[in-house]
Amino acid sequence: MSPLLAQAGLETPVVSWLGVAPELVLGVGAALVLLIEVQWHPSARVLAWFTGGVVALAGVFALVLHRYLDAGEGIETVLPFSGMIALDGFGVFARYVLLTVTALGVLGAWRMIDGLGTRAAEMLALVLLATSGFSLMAVSTHLMLTFLGLEVGSISLYVLAGFSRQRSESDEAAIKYFLLGAFASAVFVYGVALVFAGTGQFNLLEVGNYLGGVVLFEPGVILVGLALVIVGLAFKVTAAPFHSWAPDVYQGAPAGIVGFMAAVAKVGGFAALLRVLVTAFPSMIAEWAPLVGAISALSMVLGSVLAIVQDDIRRLLAYSGVAHAGFILTGVVSGAAGTGDVWFYLAVYTIQLVASFAVVAAVSGASTARSALADYSGLAQRQPFLAATFTVILLGMGGIPLTSGFVAKFGVFTEAWSAGFEWLVVVAAVTSVVAFFIYLRVILVMYMEDAPETEVAAPLSTRWVLGLVVAATIVFGLFPGPLLDLAGNALPV
Amino acid sequence: MLTWLVLLPVLAVLVVMVLPRRRPELVLPLGTVLSLLPLALAVYLFTVFEPVAGYQFVDRAIWYEPWGISWYLGVDGVSLPLLLLTTLLVPISLAASGSITTRRKEFVVYTLLLEAGTLGVFLALDLFMFFVFFEVVLVPMYFIIGIWGSERRRYAAIKFFLFTAFGSALMLAAIIGLSVLHGEQTGVVSFALDDLMNLDLSPTLAGWLFVAFGLAFAIKVPVFPFHTWLPDAHVEAPTAGSVLLAGVLLKMGTYGLMRFNLSLFPQTSVDWVPVLAVLSVIGIIYGATVAIVQPNLKKLIAYTSVSHLGFIVLGTFALTSGGLQGAVIQNVNHGLSTGALFLLVGMIYDRRHTKMIDDFGGLQKVMPIYAGFFLFMIFASIGLPGLNGFVGEFLVLMGSYTSLPVYTIIAAFGVVLAAIYFLWAYERVFTGVPDKEENRVLADLTPVEIGVLAPLVVLVLVLGLYPKILLDKIEPSTEAILDRIEATTDYQVPAPGRLEDVFIAGGEE
Repeated sequence: MSPLLAQAGLETPVVSWLGVAPELVLGVGAALVLLIEVQWHPSARVLAWFTGGVVALAGVFALVLHRYLDAGEGIETVLPFSGMIALDGFGVFARYVLLTVTALGVLGAWRMIDGLGTRAAEMLALVLLATSGFSLMAVSTHLMLTFLGLEVGSISLYVLAGFSRQRSESDEAAIKYFLLGAFASAVFVYGVALVFAGTGQFNLLEVGNYLGGVVLFEPGVILVGLALVIVGLAFKVTAAPFHSWAPDVYQGAPAGIVGFMAAVAKVGGFAALLRVLVTAFPSMIAEWAPLVGAISALSMVLGSVLAIVQDDIRRLLAYSGVAHAGFILTGVVSGAAGTGDVWFYLAVYTIQLVASFAVVAAVSGASTARSALADYSGLAQRQPFLAATFTVILLGMGGIPLTSGFVAKFGVFTEAWSAGFEWLVVVAAVTSVVAFFIYLRVILVMYMEDAPETEVAAPLSTRWVLGLVVAATIVFGLFPGPLLDLAGNALPV
Repeated sequence: MLTWLVLLPVLAVLVVMVLPRRRPELVLPLGTVLSLLPLALAVYLFTVFEPVAGYQFVDRAIWYEPWGISWYLGVDGVSLPLLLLTTLLVPISLAASGSITTRRKEFVVYTLLLEAGTLGVFLALDLFMFFVFFEVVLVPMYFIIGIWGSERRRYAAIKFFLFTAFGSALMLAAIIGLSVLHGEQTGVVSFALDDLMNLDLSPTLAGWLFVAFGLAFAIKVPVFPFHTWLPDAHVEAPTAGSVLLAGVLLKMGTYGLMRFNLSLFPQTSVDWVPVLAVLSVIGIIYGATVAIVQPNLKKLIAYTSVSHLGFIVLGTFALTSGGLQGAVIQNVNHGLSTGALFLLVGMIYDRRHTKMIDDFGGLQKVMPIYAGFFLFMIFASIGLPGLNGFVGEFLVLMGSYTSLPVYTIIAAFGVVLAAIYFLWAYERVFTGVPDKEENRVLADLTPVEIGVLAPLVVLVLVLGLYPKILLDKIEPSTEAILDRIEATTDYQVPAPGRLEDVFIAGGEE
């Protein structure tokens, strides 16, 4: 603040470029990718490396911001940009997860990008934009900015879903995703409007202060608004009963990039959900926790049961993603206490999701819509590396002990029990057995059925993704302490 | 030191994995030799184990402080015999797996991982770690049944996995509940067994938690009516899988009931004695009756497990000195004799490729050595005096007679039924003239096969003639369990159910 303005009694908004540096880098990077393509026509690989560089630079800024926060400069009390952006551990961790997912997603789609020719720039720019949008969503403390981030991210994903223009399934996926996604965004915005009508605030902290300071005689408007906000975000994280788009989109969109799409949307959606519930509505936890608990239980049951009958691996992963949304929501019901455990779960699950779609892209082809479970028959003999790593990842998603997935489930279940949701933990524990069955089926097909003659190639990039994710799954399963500590500090302002 | 017991099989896995792919014939011998190391360590532990109550050789290190979880291992008289049994049966089943010709390396890897997991189950004193091991054991077993099993292996593998995973899922919820409660009552979150034993539980909550733990273990044992996965898994599993399943994995259930249900919920355990007694008696009689009519030799032995493990559960919930000691030693006995019987069935299957009793007949004349071993193990299993089965069953029946006389009298018929199903099966398979052409040319046991069976025969005799060698080490720990139940509840062990009563009555010591 300049002294002159201070004397005049005026306050300029605090500006912290560092606070939005990762998002800026990603957005500018997306524009640069397009410009470079137009100007120099480099090969797809060069552009992909450039994209990797952009992600890395954004990561460096996130790291600097993290150091800055740890040093305790007292900035947590003053939020920059008129209180729209949070400088907190929550935002930093969200960026770590998003950027990791993006890097792995690009690496996993390497072969597909390589084959795209001039359209590679388009895809890479959309990937960067989507990440910047969801990242903005995760750091925003203002409902309008949250919406802005949601739309930037979602619209990029709609286009990515329809990226294989020549295939009708891809078109179908894009249209379906767009229509239902736009509807969900509308629900979200309507909820925001009602919250504003009830509290007169868009800022999450202000909403929280207002609700903490008054006794509401007629909270109806606010409650309906909150419910609509939850529903809108539940759509983004594929929680039941708002999940119906996921199987079709996961199946129709290009396999190379689906894992990334699913993962970033989940991270952004959960980040926004946590911020809204923990920062703005802690005083109403008695009202929203049962709703979240019900969505959680329904997601777990519906997702696991429907996944059993799927014969297409992408639909199977989509439904199991619904179940995972339910598992993650068990940690959300405890409010602020469960934030760290939810972040741990998101961190370990989303990279597994990206890696499992990298396998799908390798086995079924990056841009086809067909990925029948039968394609995986005897994969253990045809591609032992793919089969072995996929098995570890599936066991991790199933939550077998000694994998990170078990620690993640254990964390959120414990939080739910502490919050008094014992019934939800019992439902979660039982459905996690059903979820085992889903993954065991895939493992069984890979290991215990005879192999057809078709060859399967595992490109080096896919091997890297799988190797890294398997290492993370095992390391964080055996020694989760450091990541749990990091996630435990990821608290919203 | 106990950490090494868990780590040795894992290190052996690493050694086996780096073995070059070109030399598949080395895998099994190497795996067998490496699996002797944990056995050696277990035997050493046995020799230095002091016959006193409490955990010995405790290893403890914090795993993740905010969650109150630690790597906490210890051994007492209840787990010590199971360590020996596990480390003994693994090299034996590896040595007996010569008939496995495909994917040998994977087979050895899964078997060794199974060993590491099982040893962890018997050693863990932190409930989180216990759950981790309890659940992790399922994965290698799933692969062992699913890859090397017979025709319906996939069905059996998935059924095995889902049944046990379902039980343990509820146990996970109960473990979380206990630790959260500990956090509320003391302000410190902990998963250590000795911490959670001192919780102040309301009777209702204790009842639910008891059921959650009990269900997990009852499915594992299996207690009637949760036994339906067992015949499928046993029949479809390869020989080594059946041996380890019957010998070791089922013991995780009986061990869990004794270690966790009795210690964590003493009052509820006392209240639930009638239920478990009824179920185990039904299991004893039902398992034995169904075994009689089985046409499949392997399935017959599988059902005898249901019957024999019923005795162990009955002894556990008899809550007397004899019952508990009998249950612990019967864990070992069942592992030795049933393990040996599965090995023997596997040996004949390798020669004849059938397990149906009707396909055999008169084998005694063709394979006298084989018949001798078979008859010996049958007698051990029936409980012929002088062999190990007698000691265990006698202790269980004697111990439970003082507290549960009616159930014990019914259960005793199980011993009679055991004689019927085994001797009738023996008669059909071994006696008479070998009237089938294929049976006349069967070769008798090879030296390797005799070598595999010999240690089991020796141990059956040793434990049958001199059980004191084990009982001395078991006794202080089982007495401690009873002391705690008497101290925390109104329950009094009926005379002459305690050891001192027996000795006074007998005028000894």
